[in-house]
Amino acid sequence: MIKVNKLSKKFDDLSVLKDINFEVNKGEIVVIIGPSGTGKSTLLRCLNYLETPTSGIVEIGGVAVDAQKHTNKQVTQLRQQSSFVFQNYSLFANKTAIQNVSESLITVWKTPRNEALQTAKSILINVGLEDKLDFYPSQLSGGQQQRVGIARAMAAKGEVILFDEPTSALDPEWVEEVLAVMQQLAIEKQTMIVVTHEMQFAREVADRVIFMEGGYIVEQGSPEQIFEHPEHERTKAFVKRALKR
Amino acid sequence: MQSSFDLQYIIELMPILLKYLGVTMEMALWGFLFALILSLSLALIRVFKIAVIQHFAALFISFFRGTPLLVQLFILYYGLPQFMPIFIGMDAFTAAVIGLSLHFSAYMAESIRAAILGIDKSQMEACLSLGMTRLQAMKRIILPQASRVATPSLMNYFIDMIKSTSLAFTLGVAEIMAKAQMEASSSFKFFESFLAVALIYWAVVLIFTRLQHLLERRLNKAY
Repeated sequence: MIKVNKLSKKFDDLSVLKDINFEVNKGEIVVIIGPSGTGKSTLLRCLNYLETPTSGIVEIGGVAVDAQKHTNKQVTQLRQQSSFVFQNYSLFANKTAIQNVSESLITVWKTPRNEALQTAKSILINVGLEDKLDFYPSQLSGGQQQRVGIARAMAAKGEVILFDEPTSALDPEWVEEVLAVMQQLAIEKQTMIVVTHEMQFAREVADRVIFMEGGYIVEQGSPEQIFEHPEHERTKAFVKRALKR
Repeated sequence: MQSSFDLQYIIELMPILLKYLGVTMEMALWGFLFALILSLSLALIRVFKIAVIQHFAALFISFFRGTPLLVQLFILYYGLPQFMPIFIGMDAFTAAVIGLSLHFSAYMAESIRAAILGIDKSQMEACLSLGMTRLQAMKRIILPQASRVATPSLMNYFIDMIKSTSLAFTLGVAEIMAKAQMEASSSFKFFESFLAVALIYWAVVLIFTRLQHLLERRLNKAY
């Protein structure tokens, strides 16, 4: 359902992603791990074209976009196939929780307003925020904001939700509630690609783990393979360090 | 000739001057409305960097910020009819409104542009990630937030515009300043007449400053 073909990204002379190839199936939960600054977030942002790749093809849900030859319309269509959960939540500051969640339904999918609000409400109830519907982001805790962020991504009707270090900006006390919502999504077989430093989460929830370093995919496999029997030296070293924490 | 300060004269003059306040406020309100529309367009042209016309926008802003309002009014009202017949029939009121809106739109465009650019990039990214177009994002998310940021400076320009309408008397618009001038030259009580008109401007500005605070409080609800 998701196909990434020969993706590369350069910032000026700096090569951040080098020949990335992978596929993700419907309902699969893929976790990308690796040291900081190795292109994990850039890869995720390229899937959503928040960064335009230098070359390669991204295909999601039947919409394929070639980095070297595409129109704005194709990019918008590609973006509609996925949704994004940001490290810093990036909730719409001028909208309440329920308006944040219903926004894409109303603006992108032209759902009648009342229906969109109903849907948004039920999603927010799902993530445990039934008493915060009319709160502005500034009135919510970090954990609550990120749950709204996930709810907003869930409402967007995308095939896949992309998570960019969703718990990294959170105080430790809020991490649990956000991971719980993601775990729930995993149980419901929501396709997800998650960049995270939460190794415990990767181990328990992922169907597949991708280890990236230096702009390459070094190794990928089941959590068991990556965490118990990594093949590459780099993976071994990283996993050893990461699990010690 | 020396004369003593005549308070009674000021009190009697007030209602006479106030009859002309309507013209002043009409000029300011129309001027501000057009300036708002024009400045928003200019700001968006520059923010989206629309090919070719963004250079015209920059030139427009540069000219109207770089020359005095009085000169612009004179060019518009006394100068242009010489070459462009459609301006011959233009009355002074219309000329003043056009001049004020052109002049202030240049300043306001820069305020609005700065407010838009000041909104965190992540807000636009969040819109795009959901599949919204840049225009949708601008309309639904960025401009509402930018309007909150821009409101104090836009209100300052509005207040400035109210005061600048006084220049319209040089085109012959019968507004409050023109009336004060007329009264002064017939009574020779220059100080009292101009003090009276100053007090009226001041009072109007105070009222709008108060409104500005109320508006800002409303816009800050989400923050």
